[in-house]
Amino acid sequence: MHALNDAWAAVNAFMASGGPVLLLIAGLTFFMWTLIFERIFYFKGGLKRDVQTAMDTWEARPERKSWNAHQIRHALVSRVSEKIDSNMDMIQTCVALAPLFGLLGTVWGMINVFEVLAITGGGDAKQMASGVSMATIPTMAGMVTALSGVFANTYITRTAQRETQLLADHLTMDH
Amino acid sequence: MKTIAKRVLAVAAAGLISVSAVAQDKATDLDQLLKMVQSSKIAESAEHKKREDDFRRQKANQAGLLSQAENTRTSEEARSAALEKKYEEQELLVQQKRQQLDERLGSLKELFGHLTSTAGDLRANLDTSLVSAQYPGRAEFLDQLIDKMNSATKLPTIQEIERLWYELQRETVESGKVVKFNGTVIKPDGEQTEQEVVRVGNFNLVSNGKYLEMNDNLKMAELIRQPDGKYLSMAADLQSATSGFSPFGVDPTGPTGGSYLKAMIASPSIIERWHQGGIVGYIISAVGVVALLLAIWRLLVLSGVNSKVNAQLRSSTPNTNNPLGRVLAVAEENKGVDGETLELKMEEAVLKERPAIESGLNLLKIIAMVAPLLGLLGTVTGMIITFQAITIFGAGDPKAMAGGISSALVTTVLGLVVAIPTVLLHTIVNGRAKRILHILDEQSAGIVAENAERK
Repeated sequence: MHALNDAWAAVNAFMASGGPVLLLIAGLTFFMWTLIFERIFYFKGGLKRDVQTAMDTWEARPERKSWNAHQIRHALVSRVSEKIDSNMDMIQTCVALAPLFGLLGTVWGMINVFEVLAITGGGDAKQMASGVSMATIPTMAGMVTALSGVFANTYITRTAQRETQLLADHLTMDH
Repeated sequence: MKTIAKRVLAVAAAGLISVSAVAQDKATDLDQLLKMVQSSKIAESAEHKKREDDFRRQKANQAGLLSQAENTRTSEEARSAALEKKYEEQELLVQQKRQQLDERLGSLKELFGHLTSTAGDLRANLDTSLVSAQYPGRAEFLDQLIDKMNSATKLPTIQEIERLWYELQRETVESGKVVKFNGTVIKPDGEQTEQEVVRVGNFNLVSNGKYLEMNDNLKMAELIRQPDGKYLSMAADLQSATSGFSPFGVDPTGPTGGSYLKAMIASPSIIERWHQGGIVGYIISAVGVVALLLAIWRLLVLSGVNSKVNAQLRSSTPNTNNPLGRVLAVAEENKGVDGETLELKMEEAVLKERPAIESGLNLLKIIAMVAPLLGLLGTVTGMIITFQAITIFGAGDPKAMAGGISSALVTTVLGLVVAIPTVLLHTIVNGRAKRILHILDEQSAGIVAENAERK
């Protein structure tokens, strides 16, 4: 319990020194990783069911040769790939937004620094330090979020492509 | 010679004119005038004679007056000598008495020195101390005490010395207390009201959830600009609290005049910051509003289309109120044709639907990309202005420079603040559009085939 309190205090101190933008970055990170985990869980669980349904529908067909069969196969793959690709755009956007949030924090912190400079005339480096930490911490946090997101996004994109291709391979045509 | 003659003539003419002027007053002709001149001459000579007699008489008196003045002088000289002698005697006496006073004061003299310096220090502290707002009139007492100790003729009484000690003690004790008291507060509009004031040690004065300052006349005045709302609610909570602890924003520079509070109040609010951005800032804001409205409008339109497409997916008869229905209707009309032709016809129908679904999306994307660039533009123009200020005023004043720089950065913030939601909105709107296009592109032919097989 004590250790938990200490950790909470440390998080609070970090948040306070990073300024309001850090909260936005925290929210963005949380949102992005929720989407990433949702995708991963889908690939592990729900996807298998969807692929099975598509394959069953395909296998249940009396013939798999005609133009109709071609179009239906295309539609089946498309419907599953639509499910596979859902939220992927949002994850990519979040990865792109994280550095922008970091930049926002930097500029916000710099405004604080210059404001202190305007009031005190630059005589007090200690007072400017809070603005400097407000400028640098969000940049770092934004970078960390973006980097972690890039790795996760690469993994998810590749998995999605592979799964779509696998499904297309499974739905074989008769010739 | 000629000129002299002319002058004489001129003078004579002038004399004639003046004479004729006088003659107009009194004399009617020249004979009469002559008579008048003669008579006045006689009168004047009589007067002169009288004056001469007077003078002769007074001349005799002068000798008497002179001797009288000489007598006075000698007597005054004697008196001066006597007074000088007396002064010398008394100076000796004063010296003696002074010596006596010094002897008798002895260590007391040192004590008075300490008392004077202590009272002086306290006087300086009381000028900025917020406790003075609660207990006015302390400075007057100290002034009197200092005057007394500095004068050679008066000595402070024991009561006064004890009061100095008491005032020191009271200042110390009171600056450690949080107390409520009633006082006159000057409102920003100049109105004076009697209200309850909370004094937090020597740090802050608050009343009715507002921060007060003490002006030079030890009067309490409401600050014209107040700090953030959270500090104000803290102040209100503190005033209503009766026991226990209450969080409060204390100004650590309170005892020296409260410069932190003043600085915090001087920092611009969000609205003022926004105005600092200048023309570029307004342009970015306008672009942001356009993007927001466009995104909301497209989102509403696409949601409507999406729900209609979903309904179309469930029904088997094509309905022309949605893009998918229109594409399916094309297939319905060309039932007899072979697969290849039907596919081409449907592709053509999908191409026709595309612009309506995708409209506005590119504009959103452009705004998302342009907003940070506009912010950068504002920053650079702000920096140019700052550097122009440096070339005029030199780099000696960091305050003048910092103001320009912080306003330059505001546009960057505005650019990012517009770009970030626009990117998010674009992703959401684009997702909707893409789903519909996906269905049109890849599933419409399949749906036609399924419908054909089902019959």
